[in-house]
Amino acid sequence: MTQPQSRIRRSFGDLSERALAFWLLVPAALLLGLVALYPVGRLLYTSLFRRRLTDETGNSPVFVGFQNFVQAFSDERFWTALWNTLLIVLVTVPGALVVGLLLALLANLPFRVKWPIRLGLLLPWALPLVFAGLIFRWFFDSQYGVINDVIVRLGGERLLWVTTPELLFWAICLSIIWKSSSFVALILLAGLQVIPKELYESAAVDGANRWQSFWRITLPLLIPAILVAAIFRTITAFQTFDIPFAMQNGGSSFETLAMYVRTMSIENLNFGYGSALAVLMFLISFVVTLVYLRYVRGADD
Amino acid sequence: MKKLFWLLVAVLLASTALAQQTRLRVFVGGQQRPDVMRKIFDLYQSRNPGVRVDVEVGGATSDQQQQYLTTVLASRDPSIDVILIDVIRPAQYLASRWADTIDKYLPAASRQELLRRYLPAYSQANVINGQLVALPAFADAMFLYYRADLLEKYGFKPPTTWDEAIQQAQTILQREGNPNLNGIGFIGAPAEGTVCTFLLPIWAAGGDVTNAQGQFSLTVEQAQRALQFWVGLMDQKVSPPNMAEKPQDTIRSEMQAGRWVFGTLFAYAWNRFQNDADSQVKGKIGVVPLPAFAGGRQASCLGGWQWTVSDFSRNKAQAHRLVRFLSSPEVSKILAIEASNLPVFPALYRDADILKVNPWFGQALPVVQAARARPQHPRYAEISEAIRVTTNQVLARQKTPEQGAREIVTRLQAIYGGR
Repeated sequence: MTQPQSRIRRSFGDLSERALAFWLLVPAALLLGLVALYPVGRLLYTSLFRRRLTDETGNSPVFVGFQNFVQAFSDERFWTALWNTLLIVLVTVPGALVVGLLLALLANLPFRVKWPIRLGLLLPWALPLVFAGLIFRWFFDSQYGVINDVIVRLGGERLLWVTTPELLFWAICLSIIWKSSSFVALILLAGLQVIPKELYESAAVDGANRWQSFWRITLPLLIPAILVAAIFRTITAFQTFDIPFAMQNGGSSFETLAMYVRTMSIENLNFGYGSALAVLMFLISFVVTLVYLRYVRGADD
Repeated sequence: MKKLFWLLVAVLLASTALAQQTRLRVFVGGQQRPDVMRKIFDLYQSRNPGVRVDVEVGGATSDQQQQYLTTVLASRDPSIDVILIDVIRPAQYLASRWADTIDKYLPAASRQELLRRYLPAYSQANVINGQLVALPAFADAMFLYYRADLLEKYGFKPPTTWDEAIQQAQTILQREGNPNLNGIGFIGAPAEGTVCTFLLPIWAAGGDVTNAQGQFSLTVEQAQRALQFWVGLMDQKVSPPNMAEKPQDTIRSEMQAGRWVFGTLFAYAWNRFQNDADSQVKGKIGVVPLPAFAGGRQASCLGGWQWTVSDFSRNKAQAHRLVRFLSSPEVSKILAIEASNLPVFPALYRDADILKVNPWFGQALPVVQAARARPQHPRYAEISEAIRVTTNQVLARQKTPEQGAREIVTRLQAIYGGR
């Protein structure tokens, strides 16, 4: 058992601690450079060129400076997509937090058999986003969907969920909340389980009811976990793509920023402008991540 | 020891034989009958022992296949040699330099000779800026499928004008009183087929997206009348209010379940209606050319698939030989019999073996010959998006036909203007 250790000591023995640290970090740095820095750098580079695979600039890109970005700022479709993405964030992040908190509280109840509810929590999280989108597409189908079936049985009128913009937006939000609240619930459940039981016991001794102990103990102590969940959820909400894409049969009546980037690059083959849009999306994600990093560092102090 | 030596020699010989074999990889979409294609490749392999053909099966719709191919070809991946592409794509493949043009392997005289044998629409679709980008695999066009049993019950003949079709649908729906039966099914989801839906009334009225010189010529008025026609079908209750939800294959499967009197669909539907195990309409479906508009002419939308050689292939010469075989009358006949794909050679529409399986091919030739092609343009993807998404929004009543028409014309003008 000691052999590998001694071999390491032999080959790294003469290195100073600093040099050793350097060599041990090289593989990770290379990997990070290859899968994160290089593509992002390449994206920034492409965003400064006119490059369309549908004409001669596909093989010989023309440098245009920041023209693609100027174009984006006067592109109505970009602003609409950005606004739609913001709306998704504003509705689905709080939505997922509320539903996730309820689910976590439910899962934290002292049931004798815990696995069915935990499995129920994990399943939506484990399901690929596109599948969730396709499933909800069927739920909201005007003719065969279960939602309209319930509405009709209750004496209502069939609604054209997928093709009426206002209804489509809420259908998309509902699907995203269903899909993402289990992730929130998992984080909050972990947070709930580290709250010491003694606190509840002494609160009960002091005559606090359940409602009071929830507001005075559970919620304040859960705030770090809620923040972590909110930040993760916000980052992914800014990247929303799969569910609205799958729910519209590939159409784009309701288009998020990520959907617009895809249409521009993969479908229209306009890689220069598509890259510029992706850079703008990257900047937004970057800012949200900075907020997250600042929070994590704050929590360490 | 001696045995071992001979075994080694045998293995060595076998492996060099394998190494000499050319392996070609062919990309085929999930809806283009990969099972039938495999049989055709087996036939080619048996005649060309030096070649092995592998099939790679892609997504079900033209858009899904192209998304995958875009990532493969934009990264210059040499793994695919031959690709089956939609009739709308040759211009973009040439502009992106993804296709190794066929001309290099064909003297000009024999190219002329070869192209003369195909249906003219396909020789035109595959020649872009004078270069032969691909060769046709099979033809396709839109037809009007109808419930022969229902039309007969009420004494109707298959309609030749849309007004007739609307009247027949109204009468049948009213008298049948079946809430699950709908009148006229047309493609309305924001998918590629909806581009045909938009263009059909425009072609029938004598218009098109471009004029004979290839300049943009569509007017707002033409576009508005086309959109108004389809919205009108919903207003007159011969089509249900949720047409914006329906891609082609939904109409096909609903018609197969007996839920439509009429359906405007491409040729593949026939085989499904007749042969699918779950078909409720076996022997009850008739098919005729799409009806004409009052004061206009009949028009159909040209479909069909083409074989092209990837410019990144490492076996181009062998790939070209394979493509020549795949675009031959022999293969066209196999595809017609086994997959009910319309042939690309006019003579095959009178072939007795084919007519035995597809009796309606006899009437299909004039439809394919008169079918109109969607715009040929390197930026077709953007043209398609502008048309199908806006048409879908008009059908969903998010926009009026006038707003939709203005938007389509403005966006297409920008694309044709190079913006």
